[in-house]
Amino acid sequence: MNAHVPPVRFVTSWPTRPDGVPATLIAALARNAHESADRVAFRERDYGIWQERTWREVFAETLALAAAFQSIGLGPGQALTVIGDNRMRLYLSMIAATALRAFPSPVFPDVPPEELTHYTRYGEPRIAVAEDQEQVDKLLELRERTGRPHRIVYDDPRGLSGYPDDVIVSYDEMLLRGRALLAAKPALATDLVSHATAEDIAVLMHSSGTTGAPKGVPLRHRNVIGGVLNARAGGVIDEHEDYYAYLPAAWVGDFMFSLAAAVLLRFTVNIPERQETVLRDLREAAPTWYLAAPRAWDNMLTRVQVGIEDSTRAKRALFKYFVPRAIEIERRRLAGTPPSVVERLLMFAGEILVFGPVKDYLGVSLVRHAFTGGEAIGEDTFLFFRALGVNLRQIYGQTESCALTAAQADGAVTLHAIGNPLPGVEVRIDDKGEILIKSSSVIDGYFDDPEASGKALADGWLHTGDAGYFENGGDLVVLGRVSEVVHTAAGERYIPNYIENRIKFSPYIRNVAVLGAGRAGLCAIACIDHEAVGHWAEDEGISFASYAELSQRPQVYDLTASVLRHVNELLPQHLRVRRFVNLHKDFDADDGEITRTRKLRRNVIEERYASLIDALYSGARTVEQDARIVYESGETGTIRRTLSIREVG
Amino acid sequence: MLYRRAGIRHTSYRHERMLWPLPFDRYLVGTIAAFLIVAPFLIDRLYLVAYLLPWLIWSMAALGLNLLMGGAGQIHLGYGAVMAIGAYSSVHLVRAGVPFEIAMIAGGLASAMIGVIFGFAALRVKTLYLAMSTLAMQYIVDFVIAHVPAISGGTQATIQVPPVRFLGLRIEGDIATYYFALAVCTVVTLFMLNVHRTGFGRALAAVREKDYAAEVIGVSTFKYKLLAFWTSSFIGGVVGAVLVVCYLRSVSPDQFHIDLSVQIVAMVIVGGLGSVLGSFFGAALILFTPIVLNNLVASIAAGAGLSLSSDLRAHIPLMLYGALIVGFLVLEPLGLAKIYDNVRNYFLVWPFRYARK
Repeated sequence: MNAHVPPVRFVTSWPTRPDGVPATLIAALARNAHESADRVAFRERDYGIWQERTWREVFAETLALAAAFQSIGLGPGQALTVIGDNRMRLYLSMIAATALRAFPSPVFPDVPPEELTHYTRYGEPRIAVAEDQEQVDKLLELRERTGRPHRIVYDDPRGLSGYPDDVIVSYDEMLLRGRALLAAKPALATDLVSHATAEDIAVLMHSSGTTGAPKGVPLRHRNVIGGVLNARAGGVIDEHEDYYAYLPAAWVGDFMFSLAAAVLLRFTVNIPERQETVLRDLREAAPTWYLAAPRAWDNMLTRVQVGIEDSTRAKRALFKYFVPRAIEIERRRLAGTPPSVVERLLMFAGEILVFGPVKDYLGVSLVRHAFTGGEAIGEDTFLFFRALGVNLRQIYGQTESCALTAAQADGAVTLHAIGNPLPGVEVRIDDKGEILIKSSSVIDGYFDDPEASGKALADGWLHTGDAGYFENGGDLVVLGRVSEVVHTAAGERYIPNYIENRIKFSPYIRNVAVLGAGRAGLCAIACIDHEAVGHWAEDEGISFASYAELSQRPQVYDLTASVLRHVNELLPQHLRVRRFVNLHKDFDADDGEITRTRKLRRNVIEERYASLIDALYSGARTVEQDARIVYESGETGTIRRTLSIREVG
Repeated sequence: MLYRRAGIRHTSYRHERMLWPLPFDRYLVGTIAAFLIVAPFLIDRLYLVAYLLPWLIWSMAALGLNLLMGGAGQIHLGYGAVMAIGAYSSVHLVRAGVPFEIAMIAGGLASAMIGVIFGFAALRVKTLYLAMSTLAMQYIVDFVIAHVPAISGGTQATIQVPPVRFLGLRIEGDIATYYFALAVCTVVTLFMLNVHRTGFGRALAAVREKDYAAEVIGVSTFKYKLLAFWTSSFIGGVVGAVLVVCYLRSVSPDQFHIDLSVQIVAMVIVGGLGSVLGSFFGAALILFTPIVLNNLVASIAAGAGLSLSSDLRAHIPLMLYGALIVGFLVLEPLGLAKIYDNVRNYFLVWPFRYARK
C-alpha cells in the first residue's frame, strides 16, 4: 500500500496565491499531504467498514492517477466526463484531471443515455470515468452514437469482464500504470503539482436547464477557492469539518464542499456505502457539517413523527410534552425574546430526555453547522430541528456563484429571509427586483456561449433570475423567479408561487391559488386537504358527508382563515391575502387545473372560476358556482354549489 | 436516552468486533470494575467477606457451568462434584508442598480428566437422561471422596488448608483473598466473554442447536462435546480450589454435595443460559435473596409487633424465595440477563419503541 508513497515526499512546494492560500486544488492537496500527512482525508464505507485514507495516501493516489491519465492522452483544456455516485475514486479522478489542466465534468448518475449528449457537449471529453457497469454501458452507447469517449476508466469491475479491452480500463490498472510512471521519473510528481494555475477551469458544471439544453458553467480555481474563503469568513464552514458526501456529485454544492472546501480546509469526507444506505450511514458518520434539501429535512421529521406515534405511551408522552414547548420557545427566540431561566432548565431536561436521543438517532447530534437550501423550507420543519438544538440555517446560491452567495449568520436566523450576503459577495437588487451578484466566486461567462454570458453577466454583475428584496439590516429575502413576478393594479410586485407555497406549508391546505394580477389586492382560492381536515373535523365533532360539504363548514372557514392570517404576518402589508373562498373540490390534474407535477395552471383557473373571482373582488358574501367535473370514465357533468366568501380578518 | 450511537463507525473488522461498542456500556463496565477494585477500602469488611467474595466465587462457578449448559447445551447436575475434585486435588498438592500456582492448575486438570468421563455419557444420551447420568456421577464422586480416607481423611474429617502464596503474595486475610478471587474471576469472565467469538465457541453453539446438524456441517460432536465437558470441568476445578483457599479455608466432603450442584444450576437458569452477565445476576439472586428475605421478614415482624414462631420465621423467607424464582422465570423464561436486556433495549431505542431503520 505504501510502496508508492516515497516520491510524494519530495513535493514540498506548490503554487500559492499572494496571500499564501494554495492557488489550485492540486496545490492544496500537496499542502495537506505535506502539513497534515496523517490526518484522515476520506472515510468511505465499503463492505460495512469505514475505510480511511490519509492525505498522504490520497495525494499519492491522485498523482499516480494524473500520471496515468496523462499517458492515455488527457491534456489541457479537455473535459473529463465523470459519472457515478459519490465515491472517493471519482473525486480523486476529478482532482487528477485538474492537475493536468484538464477539467472534470461530473454528470448525474441517473441521466438517461440519450440525454448524455447534452452533458458531454463541452470540452470534447475523450476520456470518461464511470463508477460501474451501468454507467459504462451508457457511455458505450454514447460512444457508438458520437464516437466519444475514446477511453472509459471504471471503478467497480463487477460485470465488466467481457467488455472491449481497448476501450475500457480499470481504475486499479490506471493506478498501477501511474505508480510505475512516477517511480520511473521522480520529477514528475513536482511537475504535476505545478502545472495548473488559478485561471484554469477547476470543474465544468451544467446549469439545471429547465428550458432547452443545459448551459456549461466553468468554475475556475480562483472562483472555487474564492467561494470557499468567502464561506469560511461568513461562518458557514470551519477547518477540519467532518463532512458527509451524499449529495449528487454533479451538483455544484457537492463539488464545492466534498472536494474544494474539503481539500482547502482539510475536512474528513465521509462517503456512505450506497445511495440506499445514506440515512443509516449518516448515524455512523455523525458529521459536524450537514447540508440537506428542505424535502430531506421534511423526511427526517416524518421519520421521527411516525416513530413517536408508534412508540410506547411513556416515551410518546415525554416527546409530546417537550417538543411543542421547545418549538414555542424557539419561535419566540427567533422573534427576539430569549428564553427565561425556567425555560432554559426545561430545555436542558428536554435535551437529555428527548432532543439528544432524537438527534442521536438521526445522526445529527454532532452537527455544528446544518444548512438547508435550494427552496423554501416549511416552518414546522425548520422550527422542529432548531428546537431540537440543531443549528439549522438557510443558505442561498447558484451554480454560477459556486453555490455560495448568502447564508444566515449564527444567531441571526429567521424563517423567511435567507440571511446576509457572505463576506466578499456584493448583492444588489435592480429596479426589476432581480438579485444581482458580484464576487470572486462568480464565473466569467458560460462555456462556449457568449450570447448567454452577455445576458447573464452584463456590466459585471451576475443576473440570477431570482426576485428578492432586502429586509431590515441587509437580510436578503428571495421570493422566486423573476419570470414569475406579477403586478397588482396598484403596481405592487409579488410572486404568487411564493405566497402559495407558504400557505401550503399548512397540512390543512392542499392547493391554493393566490389571485391579484391587475386587480386591487390579493385574494385566494383554497382547497382544503381532505384527509387532514377530515381528521381534524372528526376530532372537533364536525359532521360531514363529502369534501364539498366539509369545505363549506364555518369552522373549516375559521381554520383556513387562521392559516392565511399566519402567512399574512410574514408578508408586507400590501401583499396580504384579504378575502378567500374554500373551493368545493380540490384542483385536479384530470380537470386541467394543475399539471401532473402539481403545478398550478393559472390561466385555466382564471377562466374557469371567472365568476368566483369577480365575486371575491366585488365584496359579495356568497357565490353560485357551476363546476365541471370529468369522471374517470371520461364523461363530463356539472355541479352547482353555493360557496361562501370570507374576509381573512 | 442513556445510549448514544451516532458517530460509532468501524474502521476495521477487528474494530467492529469489539465487546462493547457503545460508550455507555463501556462506562458501565468501567464503573463496576473500578468499584470492585476499590471495594475493600470502601465497604465494611463484613460485606466484603460475606457478600462480595462468595458472589465472585459462585459467579465463577456459574460461568463455568454456563459454558456447558448455555454454550454447548449439555445439562450437568454434578458440577459440585467436579468442584470437589479440584478442591481436594489442589489442597492435597499444596499440603504435599507443591506451589499453589501449580496446585490450582493441577486441580483444574484433575477435574477436567474426571469431568470428561461425564462427557462420555453425553455422547450417548441427552436431556433428562444426561441429567440422570450426571446426577449419578455426583453421587459416585461424593461416595468415593467420603469413603477413601486417602482423599477425605475419613467421612467426618475436615482438612485444613495450609497458608498459600500465589506469585509470591500470601493469600490470607480478607483483602488478599478478595483480590485473588477477583483476579481469577476476571480471567474466567474474559474467557467467557470471548469464547463465543472463537471457532471453539461457534462449534459449541452448533452442537447446542442440533448435534447431528453440527455433525453434518463438519463439526465433530464427539470432539466438541468432550471438549465442552473438559473446559467446563477445568474451570470448575479451579473454582473449587479458589473456593477452599479463599472462602472455606478447609475442605470436607459435605461442602460439595448435591445442594451445591443444584444451587449452581439454579444460578445458571435464573441468570440466563449462555449469558455471562446472567451468571453474575443468577449468583447474586440465589446467594443473597434468602439473606435479604430473612432480614426483611424479621424486621417486618418486629416492626409490626408480630410474634412469629421460629418455624414460620424460617419458612416464610424460603417460600418467598421459591416464589421469587418462579416469578422471575414466568416473567422472563430466558432469565435475569434477558430482563436486563429488555430494560437496556428500552433505553437503547429511546424515544422510539424499537430499533428503526
